[in-house]
Amino acid sequence: MITLSYSPLYCSTRNFQLPNPSLFANLYGGLAVTKRYPLRAAASLWDSMRSSFLNNNTSQLIEPLPDEEEEVPQEIVLVEKTQPDGTIEQLMFSSGGDVDVYDLQALCDKVGWPRRPPSKVAAALKNSYMVATLHSIRKSPDAEGNDQKELIGMARATSDHAFNATIWDVIVDPSYQGQGLGKALVEQLIRALLRRDIGNISLFADSKVVDFYKNLGFEPDPEGIKGMFWYPRY
Amino acid sequence: MEIVRNITTTPPLFISTNPSHVKLNQLTHLFFSSNFSSHRFPNLHYNGNQRVVEAVNVDKLRIALLHSSVVVSVFCKPSCCEREKGENETFSFGRELMERVVPVSESNGELVGFGRAVSDNGLTASIHDIVVLPSLQGLGIGRKIVRRILRVLIARDIYDIGALCSEKERLFFEACGFGDDILGSTAMMYTRAPPTLSHYNSQDVKHAGRMLLLVPQSRQPLSSSMTND
Repeated sequence: MITLSYSPLYCSTRNFQLPNPSLFANLYGGLAVTKRYPLRAAASLWDSMRSSFLNNNTSQLIEPLPDEEEEVPQEIVLVEKTQPDGTIEQLMFSSGGDVDVYDLQALCDKVGWPRRPPSKVAAALKNSYMVATLHSIRKSPDAEGNDQKELIGMARATSDHAFNATIWDVIVDPSYQGQGLGKALVEQLIRALLRRDIGNISLFADSKVVDFYKNLGFEPDPEGIKGMFWYPRY
Repeated sequence: MEIVRNITTTPPLFISTNPSHVKLNQLTHLFFSSNFSSHRFPNLHYNGNQRVVEAVNVDKLRIALLHSSVVVSVFCKPSCCEREKGENETFSFGRELMERVVPVSESNGELVGFGRAVSDNGLTASIHDIVVLPSLQGLGIGRKIVRRILRVLIARDIYDIGALCSEKERLFFEACGFGDDILGSTAMMYTRAPPTLSHYNSQDVKHAGRMLLLVPQSRQPLSSSMTND
């Protein structure tokens, strides 16, 4: 399945409509679930009434535009290598594209993560604040326009868009690990979150990767704050 | 004027999961009365020997409510919230009757409890901002809030529910059925500060309460020459 995330026309259209593509996803994610639609409508009605009352014409359901000084770019080519046979391989970071759930499942299999129901994964990706991906694009010198694109890394963050954010599912293909790609993914997430003044950035790290995150500026149990999870008791 | 906690039984409560029932001014008042901040490391100032957290940013709070998957609010009649010592209130029979007969709702009640959860509506959720008015704490209202949040999340098929807890909150969440992660994960937060302030302009440093956070450098797009990382 070919995703259009790196087609310039697709990216610029989404950029034109809304400044923050992940907010765009959240908006439609919220309206697509019929159960939650009335709540969203009520909240947006209250909000639009309040904003018109205060004569603040920038806030409807979409909050005011963030400062446009430095946008987190949609796509960056992080690495470009030329193989001996002439094929060019690009490693491209993207923050606005769609992730194919089955590509992600294949990647999770490679690192040995348990499988999760695809519908839930799709919903989780759609409703995440930001999904950062790394793709490897192979362009052979002879074939015109026939690029091979493969998902080799992903990280996502959920957030309430104001105070708290949690980073989940940071994953890099084992054959591409050790190059600083995971670091790039997480750093871009942090950058995007801090730009919106979302200050409580947390994550739950496996014991094996605690040092990896320490290196990125994360502190375990800061000031005694621990993570707890719910366990149903029967 | 002393506030005496002679409330030993839970007053009649109205628990709502409708986000539009929460009025922002009531919520900021509740946060203020409970000395609560949404920042994990809030700015503090000292009023005598009391630590008082900074007031919450109302715009950010509004945005946070809009993007929270579950919002729970608890109301009770204003007369049930606080008893002020030395004040004898005797109502007329008609008013007393109305007070007892009309059930509490979001329009006639005072906001005394609040809680919310942020979720991706698929796999995971995290609980934030559980607040109960101090004069009504210890009566099980907080636990009711958490149980209602859990109920809503489970109805949406989300079972991976976490919470970041300070030392004080840990006992509370244990009582609500939370425990350490069975997979043994460690909760971590981004706390990297800039080494020296003078070298960075405001774009590279962000405030989160009293924390100063360094914004990581942006990765520049690569030029198309051949390079190996």
